[in-house]
Amino acid sequence: MSGSNATLLAREVSRKFGHRHVVRDVSFEVRGGEFVLLVGHNGAGKTTLIRVLAGLLKPSKGTVTHTGDIGMVAHSSMLYDALTARENLAFYARLHDKNSPELVASLLEQMELAPHGDRRVGTFSRGMVQRLSIARALLPDPEVLLLDEPLTGLDDAASRIVRGVLTDLQQRERAVVVATHQLAELVDLASSVGFLVRGRLEAIEQIAGRSADEVMARYRELASND
Amino acid sequence: MTSFWAAALAVAAKDMKIEWRTKTAFASAIVFAVLVLAVFYFARDPTAVAALDIAPGALWVTFTFAAMLGLNRAFLLERENRALDGLLLAPIEPSAIFVGKLLGNLAFVGVVEAVSLPLFILFYDLPIWRQLPALILVIAMATVAFVAVGTLLSSMVVRTRFAELMLPILLLPFLIPPVVGAVQLTSRILSDRPLSDLAGWLKLLGSFDVIFVILCFFLFEATLDE
Repeated sequence: MSGSNATLLAREVSRKFGHRHVVRDVSFEVRGGEFVLLVGHNGAGKTTLIRVLAGLLKPSKGTVTHTGDIGMVAHSSMLYDALTARENLAFYARLHDKNSPELVASLLEQMELAPHGDRRVGTFSRGMVQRLSIARALLPDPEVLLLDEPLTGLDDAASRIVRGVLTDLQQRERAVVVATHQLAELVDLASSVGFLVRGRLEAIEQIAGRSADEVMARYRELASND
Repeated sequence: MTSFWAAALAVAAKDMKIEWRTKTAFASAIVFAVLVLAVFYFARDPTAVAALDIAPGALWVTFTFAAMLGLNRAFLLERENRALDGLLLAPIEPSAIFVGKLLGNLAFVGVVEAVSLPLFILFYDLPIWRQLPALILVIAMATVAFVAVGTLLSSMVVRTRFAELMLPILLLPFLIPPVVGAVQLTSRILSDRPLSDLAGWLKLLGSFDVIFVILCFFLFEATLDE
């Protein structure tokens, strides 16, 4: 891992809560155009690692560096239920110094939410909230997009939209890191996979045409060796 | 990076828009204010206690406790859907979030006070039109002090399970200095005492404003760390 030209670089990152280590000595890099899947059982540290990479949690040890803006899609939408979809995006656009109604309109269009732009988010279904949350994360046109279980609660049509967005990001040489259990739906997009076992990144390997079952078999093998 | 004031104003405008739309905290605060003023009014025996003896205390009990309802809500808004993460991901100074929240809270408390003050004058039948500018100055100065501390503490307690309970417990000791100053000044103003009588307390209240706002501004970032 040279670290040169890396869009996102984590060096020996650890994070503990009290005396409990949730992430231990994780080092990896992601370059523009790469799509990394993070695989791990519940409690393996995926969400904590994503939050540390995003800068929302300070690492207890190690460093995270990145170029450009970071976008993040998490379990929670980071949206305000009392505001409309358009108002939510306009608010975040102002914070990102991109105060452009056209940008907001194009993101609503891209996520197929344009007809619902003036509805309050509190009235949205889970899938619509998730799509709007992705639109929020895309507002700064991030160099790195971090997603934590992005397909949870999405139907086939919504999953197709999200897959389209991720493919587009890859084509535009953006770095994408996705923590997920739903490997089958994303493994064909990924360029590499990181195996997180009890907070340690046991290996990060090229996907090389492996299926979701093969990736999970490899995960179980690494987990049993740990 | 988004300019400090643009970010602060965006946060304040967003908070005000949400409150305008939902009116939950505002309605509670106004009902509470009217109730307290009425209780104090009917509890007083006009033949035994002069209005001027009880009015300053009644005014500040009303203002401070009504304000607390709004202060509590300020960061609860950000806990909903973990919207605070969205603010922290934006390329803005964390202290801009504090200033935005402070401005939003000042607007909220200012409106509650603007509605309560005429009721107070009406209930106590106080001929204070001549002293009104001085009284408004005192209200403004005391409000800045306790809203600054309330905003900081609200951000501290928002991640706790009993945020609504914790805020008053932590805030009340800090309220004592500015509220004592405000009660003393209000009493003197309502008694039509000369300006020289007010100078000492006004300087003290001004000092609380400067100290509280500056301290809270610099301490805010520390409250964001998980």
